[in-house]
Amino acid sequence: MKQSRKTALLLASPWILTFLIFWAIPLVHSLIIGFTDYQLLKGSEWIGLANYKELLSDQSFLDSLSNTFIFVLGTIPVTTIISLGLALLVNRNFKGRALFRSAYFLPSITSMVVIALIFANLYERGGYVATLAAMIGFTPPEHGFLFDSSTALYSIMAMDVWMSVGYYMLIFLAGLKAIPDELYEAAEIAGASRIRQFFSITLPLLQPVALFILVINSIKSFQVFIEIFVMTSGKFETSTIVYFIYETGLRTDFRLGYASAAAYLLFLIIGGFSLIQFALMRRKQPLW
Amino acid sequence: MVGSSSLLSKLTRYTVLSLILGVMIFPMLWMFRVSLMPAGSISGIASLSNLTITFVNFADLFATGNMLRPLINSVLIGVVVTLGNIFFCFMVAYSLARFRTRLNKILIASVLLVVMIPAHVIIIPLYILCVEAGIYDTYWALILPWLVNPIGIFLVKQYIESVPPSLEEAARIDGASELSIIFRIVMPVCKPALAVLAIQVFFTNWNSFLFPYILTLSDSLRTLPVALALFQGHQAVDWQHLMAGSSLAVLPVLALFLFLQRHIVSGITAGAIKQ
Amino acid sequence: MSRRIAFISLALFLMASTAIGQTKVTWWQFWTDPNIRPTIQAIVDEFEKQNPDIEVELTDLTWSNGHEKIVIAFSTGRGPDVVELGSDWIAQFAESGHLADLGEFVSSDSADFQGWGMATYNEKIYARPWFLGTRVMYVNRTLLTRAGYDNDFVPYTLDHFKEVAYKIDSLSNKIYGFGSNTAEKHRLYKKFLPFFWSMDAQLFTDDGKYCIISSVQAVDALIYYKELHDSTGYVGTQRQIEDAFLDGKIGFVQSGDWLLKRIELEKRNIDFVITNVPGLKYPGYSFKGGEFLAVNANSENKVAAKKLIRFITSPENQIKFCKANYSANPSSKEAQKDPYFAENENLQAFIRQIRLAVHPPVDPDWVHIENIIEEAIEDALFGQGLPATALRDAQIKITNLKKK
Repeated sequence: MKQSRKTALLLASPWILTFLIFWAIPLVHSLIIGFTDYQLLKGSEWIGLANYKELLSDQSFLDSLSNTFIFVLGTIPVTTIISLGLALLVNRNFKGRALFRSAYFLPSITSMVVIALIFANLYERGGYVATLAAMIGFTPPEHGFLFDSSTALYSIMAMDVWMSVGYYMLIFLAGLKAIPDELYEAAEIAGASRIRQFFSITLPLLQPVALFILVINSIKSFQVFIEIFVMTSGKFETSTIVYFIYETGLRTDFRLGYASAAAYLLFLIIGGFSLIQFALMRRKQPLW
Repeated sequence: MVGSSSLLSKLTRYTVLSLILGVMIFPMLWMFRVSLMPAGSISGIASLSNLTITFVNFADLFATGNMLRPLINSVLIGVVVTLGNIFFCFMVAYSLARFRTRLNKILIASVLLVVMIPAHVIIIPLYILCVEAGIYDTYWALILPWLVNPIGIFLVKQYIESVPPSLEEAARIDGASELSIIFRIVMPVCKPALAVLAIQVFFTNWNSFLFPYILTLSDSLRTLPVALALFQGHQAVDWQHLMAGSSLAVLPVLALFLFLQRHIVSGITAGAIKQ
Repeated sequence: MSRRIAFISLALFLMASTAIGQTKVTWWQFWTDPNIRPTIQAIVDEFEKQNPDIEVELTDLTWSNGHEKIVIAFSTGRGPDVVELGSDWIAQFAESGHLADLGEFVSSDSADFQGWGMATYNEKIYARPWFLGTRVMYVNRTLLTRAGYDNDFVPYTLDHFKEVAYKIDSLSNKIYGFGSNTAEKHRLYKKFLPFFWSMDAQLFTDDGKYCIISSVQAVDALIYYKELHDSTGYVGTQRQIEDAFLDGKIGFVQSGDWLLKRIELEKRNIDFVITNVPGLKYPGYSFKGGEFLAVNANSENKVAAKKLIRFITSPENQIKFCKANYSANPSSKEAQKDPYFAENENLQAFIRQIRLAVHPPVDPDWVHIENIIEEAIEDALFGQGLPATALRDAQIKITNLKKK
């Protein structure tokens, strides 16, 4: 018995070490330095809640916060609906199905940096998107989509939706596969229309999968950073919370304490969001 | 179900599917197209009519060494981290799946916790940790924190639980040592799950940007995504070279994807259904 | 017995090796460009030859990571003996106590160099100027002629400048009057401030106590700049603007000596002329920065470090470097008199401009002040803000920042 406990511990040790050194300690550490004015070159002193107070009155933090919320609340519904649509479209049996699925999924395994670079080019003044926009009678912003406060964030959001729909499509497909065929057969016999079947069988049974998608997508979207870094450097009203953390903590003047406090606020926001979603998941009766 | 109407619906379906297909793969095709264009200005649709193809942009990238070192770094780090994950995730997963100690319950909770923690929360303390431990701006910072990943542990643990314990008991009766049972008998059985894990880890690592970026400084330690993102910041880099570099980052992923599609898809859906 | 001999000889050997042993000076520098790196190495080799007791260890930094590397090195106590610093970093490192006071060291020959203002913080000198940098106006002559001006005409006053920019801009849809920087960190404000200073506006009162960035002159300058930007601007990153200029699409761009270098290295076929920036009177004031050499306050080899700095910044070595790098503004006054500069009209424009160039205040909080100024310009150019309100907000923010 003792022997087996030793073995268990030995086998689990890589995780124990990783968890302690790279997760638990940093998490506690960042909570602590969030209460100090720790700054490289300057040292650190305990300042209590001053960082948090300053954050809540720091306009650039508040802007980053609201941009992040626009990003999250704007992309998630659109991504979810489109990916569900795609899943329904490629769920049926037809020739070439695998090809379409893979092609739709392709952007999600591509490096975000690469995609951001490609779109930075497509969004340029006189670039592809501008030409297309002009064709359908929409005047593109004069200096390109990313050099304009009224379009920059939305352009990045559109790219993000484009990139991630394939991934969530696959998850929806797995969910669709799990719905027993008998249910549809029974509905067919009862004379229910396709649309009726969708609303009374498919949607309710997909609810757990949809909630799962909401959770992982919002954890991911709240941390949006790479596309901002590559495409706009946080300019043109596109700065997000993680970009703010990067900028204040690791770029401008290395205010690590202040940046840690911002990171903890982000942590709390994401935690709160996830808790709400978990609560929804646990409900017995369907939401819709 | 009259023939003509089903033909019509077929036609609409394929039209819709192909339109979406076009939207989904166009940017990638555009990247390849630009990477093969000769120097000069590229502007929108007009440049599509220019059919010249040249490999000079790729040649330049290798000649100047701008991308060669990052390419080697990405492959090297990717391989080490992937091997580490195969080995360590398996070890941990085995422990969590087969032993029922009190500690294991806590460990399972810790794995779950880390799955839920947004990774970007720890960038600042991890940065400080690496600076103070002296591994900042070394390969260690790009490898050590990422050798075991919680989702991988879960994936493999799930798989091991589906393997009947009788397998090990038979070997135990034969007098095999505990460790050799684990690595020689159970590990090979878990190959399918480990393959899925390996692919996922490699892809994630290959594309990862923020941590490699903030934990290194030296050009000699840059990985491909980092080199690409910083490449454009330097003066006199044109789209052709940038897209050639991007193609370098995409091609290996594309090749792997074509060969290993099934594993990739099953990895993702496996993760989803668990919930 | 034999052991004792061995011990003594070992001790002797150790003593001897420390006696002959060299002082090692570490130097962190930013010139990694393959065209210039050999020149740096040659200067170091020559120094080592003249000072056999000193060994120099070179480390290359790049502009993308250098600042961070220095910050981390200083805060973990692993800084180099000699470090090259951009002018806007000096205050930060001086304030945190990581730079040695060079006042005594430079007093003997400070009159022979330019740029001390940028190295002086709290009335102490923390670095020695190496190269200065300023921005001048590049003019496309072909476009000037097409717009109906004489070949050797250049605009002198701001009113004139605007008039010409409008005329060039109206030549065609694809031709622009003025290269206007997009919201690029550390770049945008450097393009606006020359107009700001040339219209007699100031960031702070002369005693440095009060921010006056929303004065009437300042608002006028921003309005002027915004009109130029809105009506004739080719908006892009510095690189995009320079590309477009070299493609013949823009009449005027503000740029530094690196563009001159690019035109020569790439053998660009463009008919251009360099002028000083326009002002209420000609010439106007431009932006000034530079590269400096400083000594780590905790260095154990300060004497050797200073020797190295003196050697690198000597007039001969500055000329050697400028020729390799096409640099236009050596800090040494003697170097400026070299025929290399005297015979080149373009380089002369730079040397004239640097005398009429202003540098931002040497302030450890400059990064924040810069950020606030940049946000105000962005707000006026790209956002909804009116120039007057944007500058007033900036003034309030800077004042609050200074209070802290």
